[in-house]
Amino acid sequence: MRKSSKKYLSKLFLLISIAVALSTYQILYAQVFTISGKVLDSKLNPLPGVNVILVNTNYGAATDEKGNYEIANLSAGVYTIEFSAIGFEKFRQDNVVVENESVVINVTLIESVILTDEVLVTAGKYEQKKSDLTVSTEIISGKEFSERNFSNLEDAIRYVPGVTMTEDQVSIRGSNGYSRGTGSRALLALDGLPFYTGDSGDIIWEMIPTLEIQRVEIIKGASSSLYGSSAIGGVINSITRDISEKPLTIFNGFYGVYDKPYYSEWDWSGERRPFNGLTLSHSNTLGNFGFNISVTRLEDLSYKQDDDFKKYIGFLKTVYNFTPVSSLTFLANTFNKEAGQFLYWKDSRNALIPPERNLGDRIETNRYLFGLIYKNLISDKLLMNIKTSYYRNYFKDKADIPNESTSNLYRGEVQLHSNITNYLVLTGGVEGTFSEVQSSLFGNPDAYSIGAYAVTDINFNFPLIASVGVRYDYSKLDSLDGSGAVSPKLGLNYKLFKDFILRSSLGTGFRAPTTAEAFTSTATGGITVKPNPNIKSEHNLTFEFGVNYTPFNFLNIDAAVFQNEYYDMIEPGIDPEDGLVFFSNLVRARIQGGEAGIILNPLPNELSLSFNYTYLWARDLETNTALRYRPRHIFYSGLDFRKWNFDFGINFRYTSRVEEIDDELVDLGIVVDGDLRVPVYTTDIKLGYNLISYNLPLNIYLNIKNIFNYNYVELIGNLRKIRNYSLGFNLAF
Amino acid sequence: MRFINSIRFIKVQSAILLLILIALACDDHGIEPRPETPADKISGFRGKVTFVNEWPDSIKRAFVVVFKDPLLTPADFTVFNLKFLSREIPLESPVYEYSSLDSAFIPEVPGPFPPGSYAYVAVAQQSTPEISLARKDWFVSGIYYTSGDTTQPGKMVIPDSAFVEDINITVDFNNPPPQPPG
Repeated sequence: MRKSSKKYLSKLFLLISIAVALSTYQILYAQVFTISGKVLDSKLNPLPGVNVILVNTNYGAATDEKGNYEIANLSAGVYTIEFSAIGFEKFRQDNVVVENESVVINVTLIESVILTDEVLVTAGKYEQKKSDLTVSTEIISGKEFSERNFSNLEDAIRYVPGVTMTEDQVSIRGSNGYSRGTGSRALLALDGLPFYTGDSGDIIWEMIPTLEIQRVEIIKGASSSLYGSSAIGGVINSITRDISEKPLTIFNGFYGVYDKPYYSEWDWSGERRPFNGLTLSHSNTLGNFGFNISVTRLEDLSYKQDDDFKKYIGFLKTVYNFTPVSSLTFLANTFNKEAGQFLYWKDSRNALIPPERNLGDRIETNRYLFGLIYKNLISDKLLMNIKTSYYRNYFKDKADIPNESTSNLYRGEVQLHSNITNYLVLTGGVEGTFSEVQSSLFGNPDAYSIGAYAVTDINFNFPLIASVGVRYDYSKLDSLDGSGAVSPKLGLNYKLFKDFILRSSLGTGFRAPTTAEAFTSTATGGITVKPNPNIKSEHNLTFEFGVNYTPFNFLNIDAAVFQNEYYDMIEPGIDPEDGLVFFSNLVRARIQGGEAGIILNPLPNELSLSFNYTYLWARDLETNTALRYRPRHIFYSGLDFRKWNFDFGINFRYTSRVEEIDDELVDLGIVVDGDLRVPVYTTDIKLGYNLISYNLPLNIYLNIKNIFNYNYVELIGNLRKIRNYSLGFNLAF
Repeated sequence: MRFINSIRFIKVQSAILLLILIALACDDHGIEPRPETPADKISGFRGKVTFVNEWPDSIKRAFVVVFKDPLLTPADFTVFNLKFLSREIPLESPVYEYSSLDSAFIPEVPGPFPPGSYAYVAVAQQSTPEISLARKDWFVSGIYYTSGDTTQPGKMVIPDSAFVEDINITVDFNNPPPQPPG
């Protein structure tokens, strides 16, 4: 099996290499022109980061720090050019005639209050306006990470409407409970490269350097029609920062302490435990070559005993432009961690220390992701993307019975994107993965998968956008029978009025079992987990209807209802034949719910308020009980005030008490007092000050998180972060 | 004018809502430590196992087991229904005294035992080389009966804050009790 998989893989990479070579040698002999210019705001300050696109083509650019842009290599013709940026009214100019000579267009953008239209997202594997999408999508801006001192991507995900975290496992609209690192129903991608481990199929949030993130897009609902397995519940795509045209160095750091626990009996250390982080990043462009490079060191002595860590994150992104229309991007993300392994508290009177038997447990991990992305604008209507990646994972723990695991995941994808006409956009591609595992937990299985997809977006004049897509996947996990899945999807976006947008989507998703779910073999705490050679893929059918309404320029309302039907949902259970725990296709589940969100800007550009509520009813249809670790009510709210050089914000988060948990861990006495759980109320405050008016490119931030020192768990026996204070800075020069 | 007033109303209402929610949050500190149970209020059970006749050589290990629900089908013999699994009874012992406060396999950390009714208390033995939770690997060698009624397994009832004594079991290797299904 391994031999044939490798043969298949080598063929795939050969095809990819040939495609790269052919397109690199493409030389454009035709006469070409440029459109260039400068973008200013109403006070005539240069505007960096403005998206400039030629409508219905694949040509586009972004303005640099001085507001300049240039779109090169254009053939003669008549174009429509569009300028857009967050916080500004979109500007569009039709009938831009390019013939005989290049064209200069300078524009001034007018500040606006709320605009959702200009935000570009890559939900459909190519850049689209958020307002054109057929599915609910949320965006986290990169600046949130430094302003609110989020050193880990998962910290920011906790504040996304309709999304919850149970420790490090993400649940989009109730898709996930807690499966102890064995598979995820949401797909994380880094610049479009899927980012899950080859053994457990798990997301390693802490590996992504948050300073390098430009934005994070969260697509809610099954996205298997484009992304295949693992995207059954949604997709989280982290987009890294653009490379700077000029030398840019960023020095970012923070130092903080945890407060004393609210109850004196929890104060196991007698001191305020510190945490800190430092990132040094540099970006520059030298001719056709540009790069972003950063190193990050994070250290946390933790408020819990044996929960401390030291992490080192390395990041490199290089782009080489062969021609104005073709480029090769190289991504490298490395991660090393040495940490304590706090699994559960000893009991509620000793909530911040582990049981004696787990004292001194530690884990060491080394992970590497390398990716290559080749882009070639074959013609002004046809764009080709080739993506390959290699993700290596290694971990070793130092418990009574130590576990050690290494996995290698190889992936390749060829994608074509074409604006066939002004009304028809076609995206299609093929991709393949191969993974090999050597593990004391999972054995030494190999796995491979192949997939092919095509999506057509049709823009009618009504104005209606219809998105029709289908994907076929075939996956084989070592000795298990291979299985195929067809995932179709239909989406509609209808702009009833300029500010009243209806969206709807219907699609299916699937998730192949991970190596961990099929082959885990271990015994701990009286529970023995056995492999399940008969496990098969789970499937779902998902429906959503949403509306976005902007009645006034200071008010935006978004609402949606959704229903997900899950078939053969993979959950851990007990085999009655031998009493052993195994993963199997146990559950027929239904998740229904609704979301409503309001963004209010009472004082334009100074004060903004947001309120988001989600109702979730996630249940096992056979037992009519709630699915584990899914709250019924989720409410997030935020207030942000910016005036002069100050920035002040409050964020509030509520989730109702989860109805169902791992009762067996409580019953078996493994997690003493594990039944203790409460609704979650957390309130965070941030204060920021910008020293730019003193000619110092420095921002400083004070964050107080969990200001009321509220004690809660997401996973039983694991108290979440107690009140903590941190002071951070961001120096860019 | 009415329109402007309604906008003002929305703004004021939103700010008030946020403040109310934050105020609610600051009055509560969530999970708190459970009070320690005084020694005389600890719920649990203890008893004595008396072995008559010689231990057969085939027995590799034996335990006291407590199941919450009756063993009516093979599926009831699961780890989720098994609420107490003692440490191994020393082989060849004529008498074995046990308590829910002793170190046990289940629960892993001894402490107050949840009050309630438990349907099946027994001594079960195994002959497999390794410990196993599979039904087929267990043989029941003695059952706890109440009031001398040996026609059906006795219920062990643990009241709140009470320690139940005399959960005694007699094991006669030559005369084993009826086996549960499976």
